[in-house]
Amino acid sequence: MSRSMISAPERGNLRHVFGIAVVLFTLGGCGPEQVVVKGKFPPPLMEPLPLNIGLWYGDDFAHHEFFDEAKSRTDSSWVVKTGEAQVQMWDTLLAGMFDNVVQMKGKPGPGQMNQAVDAVLIPHVDELQYAIPTHTNIKVYEIWMRYRFELVTSSGDPIAQWTMSAYGKTPTAFLQSDQAAVNLAAVMALRDAGANFATTFTRVPALQSWLQQRWRPAEEVIP
Amino acid sequence: MMRGPVRTLLLVCSIALTSACVTSTVDEMVFNEPLEGIGDSSVVILGRRHASDYETEPDFIECVGDHITSHDQSIRVINELEFVNALYPWFEPRTAPLRPEDIERLLRQKPVAQKMAELKTEYMIWIDGATVRGDSAGSMTCAIGPGGGGCFGFGTWSDDANYEAAIWDFTDRIEVGRVNTSATGQSYMPAVVIPIPIIAPVQGAACDGLGNQLLEFLSSEY
Repeated sequence: MSRSMISAPERGNLRHVFGIAVVLFTLGGCGPEQVVVKGKFPPPLMEPLPLNIGLWYGDDFAHHEFFDEAKSRTDSSWVVKTGEAQVQMWDTLLAGMFDNVVQMKGKPGPGQMNQAVDAVLIPHVDELQYAIPTHTNIKVYEIWMRYRFELVTSSGDPIAQWTMSAYGKTPTAFLQSDQAAVNLAAVMALRDAGANFATTFTRVPALQSWLQQRWRPAEEVIP
Repeated sequence: MMRGPVRTLLLVCSIALTSACVTSTVDEMVFNEPLEGIGDSSVVILGRRHASDYETEPDFIECVGDHITSHDQSIRVINELEFVNALYPWFEPRTAPLRPEDIERLLRQKPVAQKMAELKTEYMIWIDGATVRGDSAGSMTCAIGPGGGGCFGFGTWSDDANYEAAIWDFTDRIEVGRVNTSATGQSYMPAVVIPIPIIAPVQGAACDGLGNQLLEFLSSEY
C-alpha cells in the first residue's frame, strides 16, 4: 500500500490562503496598467550598406520604460516598457542594413578599448507619448516616439546627431484589452521607426559628408 | 401532423427576427480585366493604414481574401501580414506605394524585385475604408442581487461600412480597376432579463460585395 505524498491543506490554511489571495487581488486592482512590449520584427529586405557599424545601447535605452501617472480617479496610471522590444527590433534591423554590425564592449569614449569600426551608433528614446480611446474619444490606440541618434567614433568623438519620429496605431479591437492594444500600437511604432530609419539613413543631412567619405551609392560609382 | 410545419415556421420567424437588415451598394469601374483569370500568378490584398483617424481593419482584408479563395481555389491570395513582413520595410504605412508608378521605384531595389518575382505577384489590391458606428439610441439597465440578476431596456445603433478597392496590375504598373462598396445596417438589442443582440452584419455584407466584384475580375469562372 502506497500512501499519497500530497496531503490536503487544513481548513485554517485554506482560509489563510484565500485571505492573501483577496488582499493581492484588491491591491492588484490599485496598481498601474503595465505593458511589457513584445513583438516579432522582420529583417529588412535591402542591399546592406558596406559599412562596419558599432552599436551601443545605453541603460536608458535597453531598459526604456514610460510611466504616466493617472490624472484623475477614473483614469489609471500606465507603465509601458519598451526596452526589450527596442533592442530586439534595432538588432534585427541594423544587422540587415549594414555589412557588419558589432555590439561595443563599452560606451565609446576616450581611453575605452573597443572593436575597430567605421562608426558607433547610439540610439536614445527622447520622448514617448501614448493615447487610448478614453483620452481622445477616437477609437484608436496610438504610440508616438521621438528618437535621437548619435553617430560617434570608437573613441567617442561626435560625427553626427539627428532625430527621428515614429508612430504606431491600432484600431479598437473587439475583445482586446487596453494592454494588448497598446502593445500592438507600440509594435507598430517600432516597425515604423525601423522603416523610417532604413529608408532615410542615406539621406540624413547630418550624415552626408561622412557617408561621402566612407561610401558612395552605386549609381554615383558608375562612370 | 401540423407540428413539423409549425416548428419550421417558428424557426424561420426566429431567424428572421434575430437578424437585422443591411443595405449594400457596389460600384465597379474596371478597365482591363484578365480574360482567362490570373493563371498560376498570385494576388495580394493590402489594407491602407496611413489615415490618422481610421485604418482598414486587418480582419476585413482577411475576409475578402477568404471570400475569393473559397469561391475559386485556383486563385492564390497571399496573406497580408506574410507579404508585408517579407517585404519589410517597403509596405509599412509610411513607405507603402501610393500610386502604381511608385512600384517602379521599389523594383529598383534588387532584393525587392527578386522577392516579388518569387511571389509571382500579378495583381496588388489596395483596400481603403472602415466600418464605423453611427448613431445610437435607447438605454438599458442591469442589476444583480442575491436572488439573481437581469437587464431591462432597449438599445439600437447603426453601422456604416465604406470600402474602396484599387486594383494594380503589377506587370504593367498601372491601375486596372476600382471597386467601391458601401453597406449600412441597424442593429438592435432588446433586453428583458437577458439582452438579445440582433446584429446587422454590415462588415460581412461589405466583404461579400467587394469579394464578389473582385472574383468577377480575377476569376475565369465568374
